[in-house]
Amino acid sequence: MNIVVIEDEPIIRNELKILLENALYEVTLIETFDHAADCVLQTRADLILLDLNLPGISGLDICTQIREKSEIPIIFLTSRTSSMDELTGMLKGGDDYITKPYQAPLLLARIAAVLKRTNPSASNEVSILKVKEVELNLARGCICHKDKKAELTKNELKILHYLFLHAGEIVSRLDLVEYLWDNQVFIDDNTLSVNVTRIRGKLKSIGIEDFIETKRGMGYRI
Amino acid sequence: MSFWSYLKDKFLLLLLQAVCMCIMGVFLCLTGYPVADFWLILIAWFVILSAWLITNWLERRRYFQKMDRILEGLDQRYLLGELMPKSWHLEDKLYQGMIRKSNKAVIERIHQIEEEESDYKEYIEGWVHEIKAPITSISLICENRRKQGDSEYGTVGLENQKIENYVDMALYYARSEEVYKDYMIQETSLEAVVYEVLSKNRQFLIEHQIQAEVDCQDKVYTDGKWISFLLNQMILNSVKYKSEHPLLKIYTRKTEKSVLLILEDNGICIRKEELSRIFDKGFTGSNGRAHERATGMGLYICKKLSSKLGVDLRAESTWGKGTKMMIEFPISTYLSKM
Repeated sequence: MNIVVIEDEPIIRNELKILLENALYEVTLIETFDHAADCVLQTRADLILLDLNLPGISGLDICTQIREKSEIPIIFLTSRTSSMDELTGMLKGGDDYITKPYQAPLLLARIAAVLKRTNPSASNEVSILKVKEVELNLARGCICHKDKKAELTKNELKILHYLFLHAGEIVSRLDLVEYLWDNQVFIDDNTLSVNVTRIRGKLKSIGIEDFIETKRGMGYRI
Repeated sequence: MSFWSYLKDKFLLLLLQAVCMCIMGVFLCLTGYPVADFWLILIAWFVILSAWLITNWLERRRYFQKMDRILEGLDQRYLLGELMPKSWHLEDKLYQGMIRKSNKAVIERIHQIEEEESDYKEYIEGWVHEIKAPITSISLICENRRKQGDSEYGTVGLENQKIENYVDMALYYARSEEVYKDYMIQETSLEAVVYEVLSKNRQFLIEHQIQAEVDCQDKVYTDGKWISFLLNQMILNSVKYKSEHPLLKIYTRKTEKSVLLILEDNGICIRKEELSRIFDKGFTGSNGRAHERATGMGLYICKKLSSKLGVDLRAESTWGKGTKMMIEFPISTYLSKM
């Protein structure tokens, strides 16, 4: 996925690049804005992050120019927050509107949502994950080992999902809690421990022992 | 203006008439007129004088009643000078001239202050937008470095978020008088608003060991941006006055005429006698004084905004249990009929 960033603040531009690259997107930065629209159309962009206040040209104009030729999803970034601005942005063909100062997780969530909406075929998520003979079925919300099966609650499922995605790595408790908060499970450190203990109990009931290792002071690993 | 007070006002005139009557009586006696003639003249005089007094009283009374009505009907009372009823009395004209001059000065002064105020507000709004760029930079820098394992940046990020919150307060306070200029009502999922606020404060809330339960199925017609500001302030308050195992419950309740968005915490309670004053400007209360620096502005701004947005903001607190903050969205019966 290639994301084009049109933003005039160099620091914000570079930090956005780091942030998006960490989130496994390709990033193209545009630093001169006179022919921004043409530059964008030349790159193979999947999504555009567009600042509204650019020197010499308004982001809205760039949006209009892009829209004349392409349907690439556009997300506006701006520090203006009035409803009129938002409405104008939407009418000019923007797909979403994010106001500064934006929090990184929120920005990534919005980007993912727009990409998913405009490009549904690309996001066929895997619904069954497998690590060491243990299968996690996301669609059904259960965990299977050989022919035994245990039902999981929403919290347990999310915790296991993250651990499965990072199989083999040490996952810090903080990273895990933050991931959970990003996925609408708002629990604290203690409750995480309780949930992990409960998961271990369920794993034991289907014959898996020592699946989740505790690395004291560091986190968990499967 | 009663007749009696009118007579008191005309005391000198009446005295003059009485003296004249006496002088005339003495004069008539000395020149040898019959007493009956004297009485006749006196009665005629008295009748004429009374008639004049009564008509003059009625006329004056009508004039002032009319002015009173105009004054009552004016929403800006200092505009009276421009609307006073016409009168041919010299005194009235002189007074009207002076009142008009004085009112004009007041109006000019008001215009000047209004202009200064709107200039200042514009500047504040512009300033807020300017400062958001560096805040964004700092927030992104911190988030990127924090992910690489430098925890110092996390702390800076949290402080940065506090700045952001104070800046937001200034912006929304500056806008609170003119909410209508920036208010786009649409069907809003309260769940999305709640998730956004929680996720925005994620790092701060996790650090304070907060747990949250969210159950907001209902949708309302409002502008999410303003509600998210209200909710943000309320959640930050809950964290400020948290107890040992803080749990936030955020849920909606639908009644016949309204949808309630309720934020329930298990923090320290608000004293009963202080509950009615927590929305007052500058009120910090015993909790505020005992804890972090409280400005007493947060809830005041919230209350002010909520009344402008047409929602009702309330608080309940039970000793030993926690505090409930409620935002009530009225359901328009008109809309549901359509």
